[in-house]
Amino acid sequence: MNGPLSGYRVADFTWVWAGPSCTMQLAHMGAEVIRMESMRRPCLLRALPPWPDAQPGLNRSGYFNQYNQGKRSILLDISKPEAAEIAKRLVAISDIAVENFAGGVIDRLGLGYDELKKVKQDIIMISMSGYGQTGPDAGFVSYGPAQVPLSGLSSLTGYAGWPPMHVGMSYGDPNAGMHAAFAILSALFHRERTGEGQYIDMSQWESSLAVVAEGLMDQAFNGTQPPRMGNRIQYMAPHGIYHCAGEDRWVSIAVLTDEEWQAFCGAIGQPELASDARFATLADRKANEDELDAIVEAWTSELDRFEVRDRLQAVGVAAFPPMTNKDLAEDPHLNERGFFAEKEHPEVGVRKHAGIPWKMSETPCRVWRAAPTIGQDNEYVYGELLGMSPAEIADLTEREIIH
Amino acid sequence: MGNGALSGLTVVELSRRFAASYTGKLMADLGAEVIKVEPPTGDPVRGMPPFAGGEPHPEKSGTFLYLNCNKQGVALDITTAAGRDVLDRLLATADVLVHDYASVDAGSAGITWERVHDVNPRLILTSLTPFGLSGPYRDFNAYDLTVASAGGWTTVNGQPGAPEMPPLRAFGHQAAYQAGVNAAVATMGAVVWRLKSGRGQHVEVSAQECIASILELTYVTWPYMGVEVVRYGQRPLHPIDFFECKDGWIFVLCLEEKQWRSFVEMMGNPEWAEWDVFDNAFVRASNWDVLKPFIAEFVADWTVDDLYRAAQAKRIPFAPVSTMADLIDSPHLKARGFFAEIAHPEAGAAMYPGAPYKLSGTPWELRTPAPTLGQHSSLVLGERLGMSVDEIESLRSSGVIA
Repeated sequence: MNGPLSGYRVADFTWVWAGPSCTMQLAHMGAEVIRMESMRRPCLLRALPPWPDAQPGLNRSGYFNQYNQGKRSILLDISKPEAAEIAKRLVAISDIAVENFAGGVIDRLGLGYDELKKVKQDIIMISMSGYGQTGPDAGFVSYGPAQVPLSGLSSLTGYAGWPPMHVGMSYGDPNAGMHAAFAILSALFHRERTGEGQYIDMSQWESSLAVVAEGLMDQAFNGTQPPRMGNRIQYMAPHGIYHCAGEDRWVSIAVLTDEEWQAFCGAIGQPELASDARFATLADRKANEDELDAIVEAWTSELDRFEVRDRLQAVGVAAFPPMTNKDLAEDPHLNERGFFAEKEHPEVGVRKHAGIPWKMSETPCRVWRAAPTIGQDNEYVYGELLGMSPAEIADLTEREIIH
Repeated sequence: MGNGALSGLTVVELSRRFAASYTGKLMADLGAEVIKVEPPTGDPVRGMPPFAGGEPHPEKSGTFLYLNCNKQGVALDITTAAGRDVLDRLLATADVLVHDYASVDAGSAGITWERVHDVNPRLILTSLTPFGLSGPYRDFNAYDLTVASAGGWTTVNGQPGAPEMPPLRAFGHQAAYQAGVNAAVATMGAVVWRLKSGRGQHVEVSAQECIASILELTYVTWPYMGVEVVRYGQRPLHPIDFFECKDGWIFVLCLEEKQWRSFVEMMGNPEWAEWDVFDNAFVRASNWDVLKPFIAEFVADWTVDDLYRAAQAKRIPFAPVSTMADLIDSPHLKARGFFAEIAHPEAGAAMYPGAPYKLSGTPWELRTPAPTLGQHSSLVLGERLGMSVDEIESLRSSGVIA
């Protein structure tokens, strides 16, 4: 493994998506991430599609395999006290511990911060539950999809005059995961300078609120809730997603400045629009936005979505089609940049996974291995890292501790 | 040195597209000294709503005020030779430079790896652009809607059953936030590595890739099943949907089978719940049109809060569709001290969104409000760079600083 975190180890108690998305960032940077999983309650993502040939299987889920790239996996049923003791042995040789159970659960398992600190004095531990570890609702259960409405993002997102909407994915999860990774690395920087570990209480709800600030600040200052406006925004016009030629084909167009507006008018072959009093300034364009959007869509709907993009980008106007998964996988730009990670996996073969969204000049980051099959690294972790004998491992397996 | 996790770390921020401002904010709130360098005309975000009081004003943009707490503000024209000289002197004292300038603009302003590395070999340069610094789209123009579309997000959002309606953006500037937090993560990786190596490096973040890598299960349905995602997002299991209560909306969610069983029990074990077509989460998804009215009928008799709490008491992960007012008034968030009051000289006092995480040893904190334009120009040039009052005034009168 390489990357800036090479040499650090992470005891990974996480499951579903929020926690695993956090620890994957650490794996991306070269940390050795060891996920503890159990057959008693396998990670929910292992049970979700997509699966090759639509055939389910614990190791076949694309959802799991996408967000667990570059990690190791061991079987350990931490609901059993003896297993919790083994987990502590792993913590004792780790730098970071991450968990995302509902508030209070990790303490009941005997693996709270106070316990972990006893075996690794400078451990950095983060809990990333839905509601945080304190407060009247700390014990509530939450998953990423629920964070979208809970954080208010749903009440702000949607077409004008329509009901609140989701945002199309379980956004609370990756958002929490990235914020957690930042908090961990900040704590690691502190530890390297002072020798002090610490505990981080993270609430997925609160990290979701951190990205809803445009709505919260309106409420805080003005006591108003911004209305749902579809794709429109107060400070840009045109600003929308417009029909293109073909079924369900669209393009996004966003114009901020008057210069961009003039360039846009030229590109669509209607330079006279630029001096049309209905559209000359942002205020004019906002006042006549329905008319404006009709003109834009009359032009886009005759054209291929990528042609619209290229014609507008050629004159400096921000335009891009909403990409489908197929579009992304085949995108010449992403492929040329080497964005995709394609590592051999024992059960699903080579699949084109989304890779690492950053590049580093001195410590290149790469996905070194596909997501683990469940328990793939039992031998390495129990044998090599924890020094257990094969007989000991067999006994623990027999008694469903390693299970 | 203060008591934040990043105390002692100096970050210079050049931002005009939200994203690098969020990176700077994340670092400033954990104690880094962040010097925000704006052009004398100000960060364009100063012109973006919501405004305190409703009327546009460069010191009253709620978004700007939120993103720039805890920072020092320098107004400096880095397109002039004198301005660039000041920037270089700043960079010589800094640990990190984070920017979200388009690569062509960064190049003409001298913000290139070759040049800044020459000025300070220990400096970490984080370049945050819509499409990265290489590849055919590197010079494409993009705003938040553009990146959310190019990354594949808007495709999976939209109202089911309404194909005439367009794919939809999420509220706010979510692509910028994701790019900003990714940049913060990658930057901290470089900061940690520098402790051992003593060397800076160039971190390059593509906002498009930040979105393309968080598309839940929708992206992988292509490489795993050869299925192109539907525009409205596929829900492989149900219930995951909005329902209307007596007094507002609630989000009904049962991810695990035991949660569904508990919900059925809550509904009084109706006969329909035993039908084969609702037997598991996947068939419930296939038959969602049939199931939805049954649930709607049950939900309609409840208030949001009663149903939310009754479900949570059975460990079913329902959530209210919070309004902004609900959030500011939330007893749980109040008990955790989430919102933090900050007074700003022009915009006044307000409750700002607070800590996304609580670090036990090195607290997250809001110390100072966002800087007014050029508020710390003299301070930073004088105290940090040791420039004389005359030098500073000369730069001011020639318009290099404000």
